[in-house]
Amino acid sequence: MELANSKSNSRGKSIRNFLGEYYTWIMFIVLYIVAGIIVPNLFTSTTMVTILVQGTTVCLLAFGMTFAMLVGEIDMSIVAVAAFSPMISIMLWEAGLPVPLAMILVLLFGVVVGIFNGLMVTKMKIPSLIQTVAVWWMLSGFVLIVTKGAAKTGLPDAWMFMGRFNVIGRIPLLIPFFVLVLILAIIFARRTVTGRRMYLVGGNADACAAMGIPVDRIKIIAFVMSGVFAALAGYVLSARMGFVSARFAVEWLMPAIAAPVIAGVSMNGGKGNLINVIAGAYLVQLIVMIVRTGGVGGYYTDFVQGVIVFIAILINTFRERLSQ
Amino acid sequence: MIMIRANNISMNFGMIKALKNVSFELEAGKILGLVGDNGAGKSTLLKILCGYLQPTSGEIYIEDKRVQFKSSADAMKEGVAITHQFLELVDMATAWENFFMGREITGKGVGPFKLLDINQMKELTRKAIEKYGLSIDLECEVGKLSGEERQIIAVARAIESDPKILLLDESFTLLSLEGREELVNFLKKVNQQHNVTMIIVSHDLELVKNLTHKIMVLRGGEKIFYGDTEEVSVDQIVEFMLPQE
Ligand SMILES: Nc1ncnc2c1ncn2[C@@H]1O[C@H](COP(=O)(O)OP(=O)(O)O)[C@@H](O)[C@H]1O
Ligand SMILES: [Mg+2]
Repeated sequence: MELANSKSNSRGKSIRNFLGEYYTWIMFIVLYIVAGIIVPNLFTSTTMVTILVQGTTVCLLAFGMTFAMLVGEIDMSIVAVAAFSPMISIMLWEAGLPVPLAMILVLLFGVVVGIFNGLMVTKMKIPSLIQTVAVWWMLSGFVLIVTKGAAKTGLPDAWMFMGRFNVIGRIPLLIPFFVLVLILAIIFARRTVTGRRMYLVGGNADACAAMGIPVDRIKIIAFVMSGVFAALAGYVLSARMGFVSARFAVEWLMPAIAAPVIAGVSMNGGKGNLINVIAGAYLVQLIVMIVRTGGVGGYYTDFVQGVIVFIAILINTFRERLSQ
Repeated sequence: MIMIRANNISMNFGMIKALKNVSFELEAGKILGLVGDNGAGKSTLLKILCGYLQPTSGEIYIEDKRVQFKSSADAMKEGVAITHQFLELVDMATAWENFFMGREITGKGVGPFKLLDINQMKELTRKAIEKYGLSIDLECEVGKLSGEERQIIAVARAIESDPKILLLDESFTLLSLEGREELVNFLKKVNQQHNVTMIIVSHDLELVKNLTHKIMVLRGGEKIFYGDTEEVSVDQIVEFMLPQE
């Protein structure tokens, strides 16, 4: 009798742990259902696919931000990388660079910016907030200079293939690609030496150094990951929209910060589950969509996004207090 | 054979001279007890030997080879392992992650994409901790464990890395009396069976007398005494440690 009792207790406990661990998913699902009462057609497959596709940008940016946060840093340059990388690559394509090389170049820009941010933060001891805001403005400013503010349309077909070719129904090729990238990132974070070390470095960098973990290198790799994910986000957005512009993706900076924070990624480093960041990203995406379609004018979106980030921070802080 | 030789090691932190021209050598397989009052420079000396700090001046030789560690990683490659005074655990991480940090076990995969063998790491951690008569929830964050459990994880982690030279900085402080005795016996066993050379910092002079072959006393960053443990009494050691008028 007692044994059975303790068994069901431990099952109850593990269910509670599970719900506690994945509460972001629950929040997302609940909000989706509630929003469905207000927003028309939210349960149609067309709307669901639209949300899935639109959310890819925030989700990739949020993954990038998460890697920076895991090691106790922040990367504000992601939105600039998301505009700069595809924009400059497209301009080089116009100048004669073959499309495949231009596409590889997109990622390479992400890597280079990541290495630069990582080196400045680790070797020059510049706070990552200052460093990455400076890079954000430099890259955005550079794009403005070379484009004079004009958007680029007429992207090559091969570039847009991912966004335009549907694999099944209205699901474009970029969705399976996106899912694959997320899975690889999750495996990297959880199951590889470097991924796990990011958590350890964020948890206690001194202890890591004392145990022979190359802290600087791990941090630089984290910035490279955030740069690459930002570049991917920019590429995916351009493949979907069919254009690139200087102010591309800027509106997604706040959501990209809010998503990991809502998902419980610690802003002090060392803690965060990427699976929840997906839910966090779609949750924020959904809120932004509700605000847009909910009839409140466009002037409200910045304000609402600020409020979302703030509430996310409050929830996260409250949860961290509770768990201590 | 001389396992470790330090030559005129000095360490300055700005104006503070934490170590002043400390020299000593230690034969392979011997246990050295390093004692001294708070602030004498014991931790600083161990941190230099394990590559965590770089001395202001002086040289270190391991098995007659000059070594210049730039980081703890360098020292680990030469077979030096340490348990720091303040343990250096990642509180948010689990016991097994702390146990294997810096020397993770991988299985399938290639290069940087090798996957961790988490099950094996858990199993080896469990076995290692059991040797000290403890059983710890391996998935528990170490920040939530008791002081004794944390200390054992940090000590076992250094010993299980199979070092040539083991440095323990006040690794007994959080243990119960029985725990201390058990660890002392275990260290003796490790020392005899694997011929591990050790430097042990402790304020428990009885323990130092019981465990070590050699004793070195530091005072204000200077070496005051170095000799066979058998030759000095606890009272004499205390005398060496006390500040001189
Ligand atoms: N990182 C540091 N920065 C400045 N001073 C330090 C540092 N580490 C140690 N010291 C100083 O060096 C001296 C020796 O310290 P320490 O080696 O920790 O002594 P012990 O371990 O013998 O108690 C002390 O005066 C201490 O304040
Ligand atoms: Mg000390």
